[in-house]
Amino acid sequence: MDGAANITAAALLQQILVGLSRTTILFIVSSGLSLVLGVLRIPNVAHGSLYMIGAFLTYSVATLAGGGTVGFIVALTVAPLGVALISFVVERGLFCHLYEREHLMLLLFTFSIMLVFGDLVKLIWGSDYRSLTAPLFLQGSFSIQGFPFPRYNLFLLLVGPLVAAGLWFLTNKTKIGKIARAAAVDREMVGAMGINVSWVFAAVFVIGCYLAGLGGALVAPTQNITQGMDHTIIIEAFLIVIIGGLGNIWGALLGALIFGLTDAIGILIWPQFAIVFPYAAVVVVLLFRPKGLLKSTW
Amino acid sequence: MGMEKEHRHLIFLGIPVMAVLLLLPLGVSRFYVYLVSLMLVTGLLATSLNLVLGFGGMYQFHHAVFYGTGAYALALVVTKTGWPWWIGFLAAPICSGALGLIMGVITVRLSKLYFGMLQISLGSLVWAIVFRWYAFTGGDDGIHGIPVPDLIGSSTGAYYFTLAVSLTALFAMYRILCSPFGRTFQGIRDNPERCRALGIHVQRHQLVGEGLAGFFASVAGALFVTVEGSVFPDLLFWTLSLEIVIMCLLGGWFIFLGPMLGAAIIVTLRTFVGIYTEYWTLVLGIVLMLLIFFLPEGALGLVLRHREPAAGSGKEA
Amino acid sequence: MKRVACLILCLVGCVAVLSATPALAKKPIKVGIVDCYSGPPSTYTNDVRDAFKMEIDKINAAGGVLGREITFVTRDSKFKVDIGLSAAKELIMRERVDILMGTINSALALAVSDLCRKEKIPFVVTFSKSAKITGAKGHRYVFSITENTAMAGKAAAVGLSKKPFQKYWIAGDDYEYGHAIAEGVWANLKNMRPDVKLLGESWWKVGEPDFTPYITAILAAKPDAVIVATGGRDCVPFLKAAKATGFNQRVPFYMHTATELSTLKPLGLDAPEGVLGTSNYFFYYPRSAANKAFVKTFQKTYDRYPAVGAVYGSLAADFIAGAYQKAGSVDTEKFVDALEGMTVDSPLGQVTMRAYDHQAMLPMFMGVTQKIEGYNFLIAGDIMVIPGEKVMPSVAEIKKAR
Repeated sequence: MDGAANITAAALLQQILVGLSRTTILFIVSSGLSLVLGVLRIPNVAHGSLYMIGAFLTYSVATLAGGGTVGFIVALTVAPLGVALISFVVERGLFCHLYEREHLMLLLFTFSIMLVFGDLVKLIWGSDYRSLTAPLFLQGSFSIQGFPFPRYNLFLLLVGPLVAAGLWFLTNKTKIGKIARAAAVDREMVGAMGINVSWVFAAVFVIGCYLAGLGGALVAPTQNITQGMDHTIIIEAFLIVIIGGLGNIWGALLGALIFGLTDAIGILIWPQFAIVFPYAAVVVVLLFRPKGLLKSTW
Repeated sequence: MGMEKEHRHLIFLGIPVMAVLLLLPLGVSRFYVYLVSLMLVTGLLATSLNLVLGFGGMYQFHHAVFYGTGAYALALVVTKTGWPWWIGFLAAPICSGALGLIMGVITVRLSKLYFGMLQISLGSLVWAIVFRWYAFTGGDDGIHGIPVPDLIGSSTGAYYFTLAVSLTALFAMYRILCSPFGRTFQGIRDNPERCRALGIHVQRHQLVGEGLAGFFASVAGALFVTVEGSVFPDLLFWTLSLEIVIMCLLGGWFIFLGPMLGAAIIVTLRTFVGIYTEYWTLVLGIVLMLLIFFLPEGALGLVLRHREPAAGSGKEA
Repeated sequence: MKRVACLILCLVGCVAVLSATPALAKKPIKVGIVDCYSGPPSTYTNDVRDAFKMEIDKINAAGGVLGREITFVTRDSKFKVDIGLSAAKELIMRERVDILMGTINSALALAVSDLCRKEKIPFVVTFSKSAKITGAKGHRYVFSITENTAMAGKAAAVGLSKKPFQKYWIAGDDYEYGHAIAEGVWANLKNMRPDVKLLGESWWKVGEPDFTPYITAILAAKPDAVIVATGGRDCVPFLKAAKATGFNQRVPFYMHTATELSTLKPLGLDAPEGVLGTSNYFFYYPRSAANKAFVKTFQKTYDRYPAVGAVYGSLAADFIAGAYQKAGSVDTEKFVDALEGMTVDSPLGQVTMRAYDHQAMLPMFMGVTQKIEGYNFLIAGDIMVIPGEKVMPSVAEIKKAR
C-alpha cells in the first residue's frame, strides 16, 4: 500500500502548484511577523491571533455586504484594515511603553495578548464553524493534465507575487521603508537624526499586522473559520522566520517556500510521516546555517 | 544575586512552611492535599526551567519536552516491561537528562531567540513522534491507569512522596546554583563575553545546565504520573512550555523560589477561576499583561524588594 | 519577611474557607460535566450541555427524582487532559458530585474513566468516540451513550457492502480517531465483502490547511470509492476542497460525519452533493412525533436546530433520572445495577443500555448529502437505518478485548 507508486509527473506538478499556493499564505503571514521582528524586535506571538481575527472579520464583513463577489472583494479590503486598526490600538496603547524591555518579556506580553484575543474571538463569534464561499469566478477548478486544480489556488498564486512586489517597493522605494530599515540596524542613530522613531515603529507594526490580517482574509474561503486557527499558524510562521533569517522578509519568502514545498511533496512521498517533514527541514537548515538562510537584521 | 540573603529567608520561612506542609493532610480535605501535590509538581517543573532561564539566561522555550519524556519513561517502563515501579522512576531522569544533553549539543551553539526556536522545532519533533507512535506510546489517547505502588497510591501517600522528592530536588538545585559551577553559570548569563575571555568554556557549561534542567524536569514528570496516573501528548506540547515560562515570570525569575510561588498561583487561579468562568485564559492574559507592566520582577521579587532592596536586584528585567 | 508570612497565611485561609462546603437538608443529585467548551470542539459540546439542561429542567419541574432535584455544574477542559483531569478530581472531591459526564476528548475520557473506576463514581461518556471506553478499558462505573469508532465502522461497512464498489482508498486524520474509524470500516467491510481491495492510504495532520494535494494523490490511483476517516473541524475544509476539485463528482466517497449538521450548516448550499455519511441523529430524522416534539422544544429554548450532541445530552439526562428512579435510592451501586440493561424513550425511539459493556445501543443512519427544498443548507437524504444490534460489536468480541 504505497501511495508513492501512483505518482506521475502531472501529479507532481499539480502538487508543487498546490504547495506554492500554500506558500503564498505562509509568506504573507510570516513576512509580517518578520517585519515586526526585524524592526521592532518584538517576537509577536499574537500574530497568529490577528490572522484568525482577519479570517473571522472577512466572514462577517462578507456576510454583511451580502456575500457573493462584491461581498468577498469588500471583505478582502476591509478585514485586513480592521486588523490593522486593532493592531494600531494595541501598539499605541500597550507596546509603545515596552520597547525597552527584554525580548523574553515582549514575547510573554504578546503571548498574553494571544490569550486575550483567543477568548475575545470566542466571546464575539461563538463556537460554531464558519465557512465563506469564494466568489463565483473563483469557484471550481480547471484541469492540468487530467488533475483538477482549484481556481482559488491559482488566485493565491497570483496574489503572492503581488504582495512580494508591494513589500519590495515599500521597503526599498518609500521613505518610511528606508527609515524602518535604518531603524532596524540602529534605532538611536535614526532617533538622533530627528526622526520620530516611535511613529515609524507604529507604522511598521501596523503594516506587519495588516499582513497577518490579509493572510487570514485570503485563507478564509478555503478553510473552516474557527477558534484555534491561531495555534496552527503561529508556530509555522515562527519557524519560517527563523530559517529565513530573523527580520529578513526575503528570508521569510525562502522559508515559506521550503515549508510549503516540503509539506506538499512529503505528502506524496511519505504520507504517513508528512507531519514531521517541515520540522525536520527546519532542524536541517539550522544545523548548517544556525542564523538562518539569509542575512538577519539582528 | 542575593543568594546568601535568600538563604536567611529560607531558614526563617522554612520551619513554619515545612510544618504546614507536613501536617497538611491532617487538616484539610483530600482535594486540597491533591492540589498542593499538583503545586509541588508544577513548581518543581518551573524551578527546573528557571535553572537555565533565570540563572542561565538561556531561552528555554520548550521545557515541557523533558517533563513529558520523564512522565512517558516512567509510564512505559511500568506498563510495557514487568520491571518494578522504582526502576521506572529512576529511568525517567536518566532518559530526560540524556535527551537534554542531545538537544543541548544541537542547540547551545545558538543564542537567545535562535536557541529557543530551534528548541521548539526539535521539541515538536519529539511531540509528533509521541503523538503518532500508537503501538508504543498509545498515540494521542495516551496511557491511563498506570499502576502506582500501594505505599504511595493513596492521595496522602502520593502527597508525602511528592513532598519528599520535590524538596530533595529543590535542595539539590539550590546546592548546584551555590556551587562553583552554579556561580560560573550565572556569570555566563550576566556576561558571556567576559567569561569566554576568562577562559571559561561557555557552551560546555550551558550544555551541562541543559542536561540538569532536563533531569529535574523529568523528576517532576515522574511525580505527575504518581499523582495523576496518566500520561498524554499534551505533556510535551509547546503551549505548556510557555505556561511554565509564565510561572517563572509570575513568581520572579531571578529568585530561586519565585517559580515555585508562580506555579502555586497559576494552579490555584486555574482551579478556582475555572469554577466560575469559562474565560479563564482571558483572566490569565489580563493578569499577565498587568504583571509585565507593573511587576516585571514577579510577585516574590516585589515582596523581597520591599523587604530588602538588594535582594531582588540581580538584574533589572 | 512578614509579608511573605502574611501571604502564606492568606493562602491557607482561602483554602480553609473554600473547603467548607455548605450542608443541605434534602441533598439534590449533583451531576458534574467536564468537557471542552473552548475552541473548535465546543460546537459539538454546547449541544450536549444545552439539551441536558433542557431535559433536567423538565424532570425537575415534574418533581425531580426520588423527591430530589437534579443539579449540574460544568467545567471547561480546554481540550487539555491535565486541566480536565484536575477539574474532574475537583468535581469529585470538592463538589462531591454523584455522577460525572463528558467529554469529547478521548484521552481525557479514558483518564477520567480510570479515575472513576478508582473513585467508584459513575461516568457517562457523552461524546468521545474511542471504542476502548466500553471495550478494552471498560469497567463497572463507565457508561457510553454515544456511538464509537467500532460502531461507526461497522455501520459504514454494512452500508458500503450494499454498494457495487470494489477498489477502495482510505484517507483520514492522522490520529487515533481517524485510524480507528478506518480500521473499523475496513475490517468489517472485508468480512462482509471478501472481494474488496485496498489501493492505498493517505493520512494528514489534524488541522490540515489544504486538502487538494491529497485529493490529487487519491485521484491518481483511480479507486471506485474512498473512505474518508476525518472528523471535527477538518470535515468542513475537506468538503470545500472536494467541491472545488469536483472530487465528489469523480469518485463517490464516504465520510463518517459528512452529514452532521455541524459540518453541513456552515457550508450552506455550497457543500458537495452525493457524499455518504453516517450519524446517530438528524433533527429531521427519525420522522417520529417524539423527535418532532424534541426539536420543537429545543428550537424554542435555544433558537437553533439540535445537532447530534443534543440527543446525547437528552439521553444522558433520561438514563440518569431513570436509573435513580428504578434503583429507588441514591446509592451508587444500586444506580449502576439499575442502569445496566435499562431502556429509555428518546427522540430516537427506545434506546437500551447494554448490560455487559455499558454501551448504549444506538441506531446509525446512513445518508447522502442532498439539496432539499426549504433548507438553506444540505441535509442527508435516502436514509438507511442500521439498527443498534447490527452496529454493536458482539459481547464475545468485547470479552476478548478486555
